[in-house]
Amino acid sequence: MKVLRFAAILVGLAAPSVAFAHGASRLKQVEAVEINAPAAKVWQVIGNFHDMSWLPGVATTTGPGGNKPDVAKREITLKSGAKIEESLYKYDAQEMSYSYFIDKVDLKVLPVTNYSSTLVVLPEGGKSKVEWRGAFFRGDPLFDPPPALNDDAATKAVKVLYRSGLDALKKKVEAAEATN
Amino acid sequence: MSVAALRGRVIRAVGAGLWLAAASLAVTPAAADEAFITDQSASAVSVLDLATKKLVATIPVPGKPAGIAMAPDGRRAYVTSPEGQDVSVIDTAARRVLRTIKVGQDPLGIAIDPTGKFIYVADFDIPHLYKVDVHEGRVVGDAQIGASPRGVALTPDGKLIVAADRNDDQISILDAASFKRIAIVKVGSHPFGVTIDAQGKRAYTADVKSNTVSVVDLATHKLVGTVKTGLRPYVVALGKTSGYVTDEYAGTVTVFDLASLKTVKKINVGDYPEGIEFSPDGKMLYVVNWFSNDVWAIDPTTLKVTAKMQVGDGPRAFGTFIRKVP
Repeated sequence: MKVLRFAAILVGLAAPSVAFAHGASRLKQVEAVEINAPAAKVWQVIGNFHDMSWLPGVATTTGPGGNKPDVAKREITLKSGAKIEESLYKYDAQEMSYSYFIDKVDLKVLPVTNYSSTLVVLPEGGKSKVEWRGAFFRGDPLFDPPPALNDDAATKAVKVLYRSGLDALKKKVEAAEATN
Repeated sequence: MSVAALRGRVIRAVGAGLWLAAASLAVTPAAADEAFITDQSASAVSVLDLATKKLVATIPVPGKPAGIAMAPDGRRAYVTSPEGQDVSVIDTAARRVLRTIKVGQDPLGIAIDPTGKFIYVADFDIPHLYKVDVHEGRVVGDAQIGASPRGVALTPDGKLIVAADRNDDQISILDAASFKRIAIVKVGSHPFGVTIDAQGKRAYTADVKSNTVSVVDLATHKLVGTVKTGLRPYVVALGKTSGYVTDEYAGTVTVFDLASLKTVKKINVGDYPEGIEFSPDGKMLYVVNWFSNDVWAIDPTTLKVTAKMQVGDGPRAFGTFIRKVP
């Protein structure tokens, strides 16, 4: 009994250091949408790091640094009250692309760790294609994660996020085009 | 001589030249280098012919392969699979896995000694470096190193082994003959790839968290310099006068001068570049882009991208992946 209890303590002690290691492989997800509007019009909507109003479920986006890489930070507050903290690390208005990573997120909101992402608008004639790309590890990077924090859960959550964002973006931009 | 006659001569000369070139090609076909790229998401190894720049084979390798060490004679490639917890031994000419060797819990970093007899495998979950006899196909040595080690490299004479102990912000230097650690040198934050120069004098680590390359003198065991890189540097490749480091998040290769350790240039490459290595003749540099699933060729003199080759999903090629075809 004593030995068992000692072993349990050892496991408990070991866990925090192991948590830095990734038993998992990094995952990626790419979702895209074609929008019947010029790329510049789409970039006008999503090109501001501090405006995530085009993403369903977002209440506010606040933070310092404008669109300056390695300086700009944003805090997204969802309508549910949950908050996500993110940092901008790449911004290219010419290429109509920016990249950021998540500094802090509740695993119940998005079950991922070490998450980085890129949004890019690609001109296609007078139309455009928007890609949302993510690289991340699952919510629990250790061996044998619970189902809510495994590879499938992470990939699915990111896919759902990207789809809802891109589909809403398409609707918003194309509706604005139609009224012009 | 008339212009027409001159032209006739020139044409004949060119014709003879072409014929000679064709004949020499037929007799001794130029041995094209190949790249063996670990496609982690696809659980496969893509083989690229670097002369034709074409994908010539895909070898299934289970367990999410990531690290690779090419045998000095180019006949075998050793591939680590962290999820398979093993090393696959690939017959490079036959394009198939000959066998797998169970090694550790999370094998990732791997290097081979110059004789081709032993491979050294770092376990990124537990602080161990394993010595594997490739003929016997089993682990023959186990050394304690620092926390969560990533890259491994040997000096060209095979006497020293260097491991990047990522979570201890240090390198471990081991004596290969005794397989004992002889020194620890503190470097930047979270060293990942480690590369040793052709003289066996200096080791270069890419430090993912501090965005630096650390330069360590292997004789004095001292940190002798630091290079500023782009975001999330991953692996260093060494030319004659310049170093080249893949910046994973920045999507660039930072070029730095080996004497001054000053940054010379940043080259835009694909998304999330990881593996990087020179061709055996030093005339071409290959960069493996994890996110964009391709391998880019860079001319190290002009620093221009000269080719882009598609491979399988999630390529990493963490280690030595270029095969000089015998």
